[in-house]
Amino acid sequence: MAYTRKDVSTLTPTERRRLVDALLEVKRRGEYDEFVRTHIAYYTSDGEAGLRTAHMAPSFLPWHRRFLLDLEGALRRVDPSVTVPYWDWTRNREATSVPWTDDLLGGTGRLSDRRVTSGPFAHSGGKWTLKVNVTDEAFLTRDLGRPHAPLELPTRTDLGQALDETVYDTPPWNSTSRDGFRNRLEGWGSGRGSASWRNHNRVHRWVGGSMMGGASVNDPVFWMVHAFVDLQWTRWQRLHPGARYLPAEAPGPGDSQHGRVVARHGKLPPWDVTPDELEDVSRTYQYV
Amino acid sequence: MRGVFASAVTAALTPLVTASSRPAPARSSGQSSHPASERAAAPRAHRPPESPAHRQDTEYPHATAYAQDLAFDEMYRGRRIIGFRTLAGRDADEWYVTVDGRPLHVMRRADGTWLTMVDHYRSYATPLEAARGAVDEMPPGSRLRDTGHGPWREEGHHGVHP
Repeated sequence: MAYTRKDVSTLTPTERRRLVDALLEVKRRGEYDEFVRTHIAYYTSDGEAGLRTAHMAPSFLPWHRRFLLDLEGALRRVDPSVTVPYWDWTRNREATSVPWTDDLLGGTGRLSDRRVTSGPFAHSGGKWTLKVNVTDEAFLTRDLGRPHAPLELPTRTDLGQALDETVYDTPPWNSTSRDGFRNRLEGWGSGRGSASWRNHNRVHRWVGGSMMGGASVNDPVFWMVHAFVDLQWTRWQRLHPGARYLPAEAPGPGDSQHGRVVARHGKLPPWDVTPDELEDVSRTYQYV
Repeated sequence: MRGVFASAVTAALTPLVTASSRPAPARSSGQSSHPASERAAAPRAHRPPESPAHRQDTEYPHATAYAQDLAFDEMYRGRRIIGFRTLAGRDADEWYVTVDGRPLHVMRRADGTWLTMVDHYRSYATPLEAARGAVDEMPPGSRLRDTGHGPWREEGHHGVHP
């Protein structure tokens, strides 16, 4: 029977406590840091050779869908009542309200070093030391809203620009794809100003600190962000019935993307699953 | 010819030693136009022992086979950022960038812009700007970790970095 993923602002105090406790336990067990490591390992940029799976590629959505399911599975092994909630940043847009409250994620980082000093994931609490990181600080950092160079969270309209796209993705299936739902949602633009980074990318940058880099998984908000991203994929499928994951076939030997993207029936590393198999997960979970 | 080149290398590396306490000017790329074969012949013994290039020899031996052209060397927000670009490799745009002596993995985007592991969800026009952007995000006192990526693309690493 399918379980539900909820809007984080609707979680009861008990649900919040159980979610936080499960995260801390997965961390204590050492499993959490494996997720950080995996996310760092699976970043290949599209100006370089090699297979792209997690970012700058059509499989951005199925890869993170499966990644999220793995983490949720780890949480549910600790407490079967727990599911990953989503953060609807189009509605919860303040740095001091949910999910940035002390019973959930805690607040922004302090001015001097962006260190998070409140909530369950503050280093001072002793239960959230960064073990896998791009830089060597052991504490979680945030810079909500980037006060020194303010950034707005994406809006419902920004999401709409992705949801309106009628095809899932378009050649060259990378960060320069102008059209297609995937890159509009992932949020790679051209140009130099902050307006260039949209939706998912912009949210990472709005949170700042640890969420800016390859080790972004160190901030548990990562999962809530990606649950909301994942929810958009489900919404998009409902808005465009019959529209499938693309590319349907692997780009051939003459194509610049040959061997660099995963097609609908290709295996998605590090798993054996295909994007096709991840398109419909309605028997596993539903968003409410 | 070998002696002339050796002294040119030493002259090029002198700012790395003497500028440790004051800002070094950012240099434009391509300051050396020596052909690859001559660069490869430059004896390592001519590098001043305490320069970042020497530490590079001992800490990052893999890099010294390639890093030959100093593209930038500056102090930015209290951190030393250095970028070497190799023109001798398979690819014209192999970069080796360090922040306070530690490698910063820079990656290329398909549109020609650059990003780093520190600032992962946007890109910059040049490796120098990407390095500055990385410094902007590093907490004071923190240093880059060696995540095992290395600054170089290596054969066989397709899509996954160990």
